[in-house]
Amino acid sequence: MLRRGSALVVSAVLLVSCSTTEGTPQPAADSPVQGGTLVAAISADPGQLNPAITTSGDVHTASELMYNGLVSLTPDREPVGELAESWDVEDNGALYRFHLREGVTWHDGEPFTSADVKFSFEKVLLKYHSRTAASVGQALESISTPDERTVEFRFKEPYAPFPLQLDVTEAPIIPEHIYAGTDPLENPANLEPVGTGPFAFESYKPGAEIRLVRNPDYFIDGQPLLDEVVLRVIPDAESQVIALEAGEVDWLFGVPGADLARLEEDGGFEFLRTNVNPGGSNCIMTVSFNLEKPVFQDVRTRRAVATAINSQQFVDRVLFGQGKVAEAPISSGIDFAHADDLSGMPTYDKQAAEDLLDAAGWIRQGDGTRVAQGVQGIPDGTPLSFGFTLFTSFAAYGDLFKAQLADVGIDVELDPQEPDIFAETVFVDRDFDSNIISYCNGADPEIGVKRMYVSSTIGPVPFSNAAAYSNPMVDSLFDQARTTVDPGERGEVYRQIQEILVEDLPYFWVVETEATRVYSSRCGGFSQAGHFAEAAYCRQ
Amino acid sequence: MSWGYLLRRLAQLVPTSALILLVGFALIHLAPGDPVLALAGEHGDAEYYDFMRAKFGLDQPLHEQLFTFVANMAHGDLGTSYVQGRPASQIILERLPATLLLTATALTIASILGLGFGIFTATRRRAWQDTTATTVLLATYAAPVFLIGQALILLFALGAGWFPVQGMTSAVTPSNSFGHAVDVAHHLVLPALVLAAPEVAVIGRLTRVGLLQELGSDHVRTARAKGSPPSIVVAKHALRGAVMPVVTVIGNRVAHLASGAVVVEVVFGWPGMGRLLVDALRDQDSPIILGIFLLVSLTVMTANLLTDLVYVWLDPRVLFS
Repeated sequence: MLRRGSALVVSAVLLVSCSTTEGTPQPAADSPVQGGTLVAAISADPGQLNPAITTSGDVHTASELMYNGLVSLTPDREPVGELAESWDVEDNGALYRFHLREGVTWHDGEPFTSADVKFSFEKVLLKYHSRTAASVGQALESISTPDERTVEFRFKEPYAPFPLQLDVTEAPIIPEHIYAGTDPLENPANLEPVGTGPFAFESYKPGAEIRLVRNPDYFIDGQPLLDEVVLRVIPDAESQVIALEAGEVDWLFGVPGADLARLEEDGGFEFLRTNVNPGGSNCIMTVSFNLEKPVFQDVRTRRAVATAINSQQFVDRVLFGQGKVAEAPISSGIDFAHADDLSGMPTYDKQAAEDLLDAAGWIRQGDGTRVAQGVQGIPDGTPLSFGFTLFTSFAAYGDLFKAQLADVGIDVELDPQEPDIFAETVFVDRDFDSNIISYCNGADPEIGVKRMYVSSTIGPVPFSNAAAYSNPMVDSLFDQARTTVDPGERGEVYRQIQEILVEDLPYFWVVETEATRVYSSRCGGFSQAGHFAEAAYCRQ
Repeated sequence: MSWGYLLRRLAQLVPTSALILLVGFALIHLAPGDPVLALAGEHGDAEYYDFMRAKFGLDQPLHEQLFTFVANMAHGDLGTSYVQGRPASQIILERLPATLLLTATALTIASILGLGFGIFTATRRRAWQDTTATTVLLATYAAPVFLIGQALILLFALGAGWFPVQGMTSAVTPSNSFGHAVDVAHHLVLPALVLAAPEVAVIGRLTRVGLLQELGSDHVRTARAKGSPPSIVVAKHALRGAVMPVVTVIGNRVAHLASGAVVVEVVFGWPGMGRLLVDALRDQDSPIILGIFLLVSLTVMTANLLTDLVYVWLDPRVLFS
């Protein structure tokens, strides 16, 4: 009994010492204030804090506030100067000359120069940053630094997407004086970063938190406003929501759809919808048809499946409204390339799907299933049934897909797998019929669209051309788009590509997914990704 | 017990750990999946993946990778984490204190509460207190750890506001070390209770059964007949015999605590080794996975050895040869 009594005393003491004063809820803070701390939740321990050596979303989320790119992207995905003040494009897009900002210093006081840019690209980004290495790396000829404030990138031929591949997510610039002569994967500065960004490194407790402090010498006047940003590692999504409700954190990068409505009703929170994430932006949930399988050789069957899919139901039931029906192969987030009125794009029509299946030779039986009658490459009497491979975390997509296709007499067998096993099954072994992948398009089709469609990416590279689609016309149009610098002309090339794609249907583009940032109403001034807290403020 | 026995038991740790590492190595490398895919994510090209594989020695044949691993282990080197670029041993040791604090606290709570519950229920056999406590213990034992965890968070953290929802420290750090200790203790209460809950049930029920048996035995009847007060009878005469099986169980539960800690650390955002293991498994970061395997198996084996030694101390009739 004594023990129980003392336990009560202890909890009473803890209760008194740790109780917080709950202020009355404040209206949304609309006028910025200087100072204060923002506590943000992140989902995983990043392990290290150098965004130049990885495309890991966990690392980028935790580290981008400490670094800069040559440019930043506006909410409309337009490039504007960041470490670069301006740039000239010459030789029809084969030469980019960047004029760097004056007076920028690294967090340790060393001056930032063109040598840092050249070093970052040549020694780090083009080797270790998989997206930049695979795209810019293939096109680049040389980098030169005529003086401390000028960097020139020369490409083998005109390379249009370059300015969109230079933000802090695609090409963060790291200090040469710290990384020169070392293995960038093992440099101790990966745990104590030195950047040029709005916030400087303060401390990192693995698995627990990363603390950043205001960079008083930041090159944008009046920014940042916050004194401190604390990134707390909270792996469980439900626990993140509870921590927000309990006031332990002020900002969540995303929230499960089921909790969103409750937070909206509760009040005291603000919401920011975005299709931009440090791990990948402009993502489309895409069904791939394995074109090597007999069942998907006939485009009428593929069109039937696409037409039987009710995308709006995915938005409502799987995403809880956090997204929208995809209208084209290229995301609506890439404004210049997205074609929004494609006549060939399938839309839900159950009767049309049934008719297409009948025409393709898949005939309904008495029990509602369909069997082959004169389908090329398939023995008569074979039931219409195929596998659907997916990440275990996408189970809800699988269930709805199966239910919708059962409605038109197609039997779907779900095959959930962990991500790295999925990558091997689909891209190395090619042992699948159909699948669903979140293909993130990035800021430019060259980053995350082309890999899905060009014949050179059929093969063992993960998250490339899952359908094994090959069309010489599409190949040459993608080449043309890469070397066409004028955005209007380039957009027209992408429109032609999309017109072909919605006819060939190697894939079906179901929904564009979005994330919802949620933050406490006492804070404001956030932007979408990367430097999300650069101009943010919190009333204390 | 002879010194020879102790030495033999200690010597057995070496081949057992080696076997565990070998099986672990085979499991990780023969299972589907590729650490470079986990590391690089999407968007790389074939050249990139080849470069990274060569960088980590993953392009070598499996037997050569095993040879390198064994050679490194012989020097006490677990290898370098693929994700973090640092020695795996350093990364694991950083996260060890948090897990030790959590599991040791949970084991202490479980032992104290378990014995308490056992004594409480055994001395009130078939009374309503016994029935109630026994039912509650059974429910605690049956409920999954994450369910108890979420329930306690909703009740005592979000609901009553008595405890923090997650983490090991507050975002606003106290300035002095006493304040820091109180802060950590405050964060420790809920996760330690959740981790202890099923252990309380096991220890409590075992103590109850053991004690009931002892209370009906001849030497206890003799003690009662000699006029010893009931509390002395329980504490001095019955409990010693009753805790024998309990000691075995406490030793064996170390393995359960280690696995339970993984779930509790995820639910409560506790920055320990269990969460490191979850991340490493996701990333297929084998140096870290194998390092944790080794550490946990050594801990479990040591706990078993200690259990055997405590046995001898409690009951000198037990002889090992």
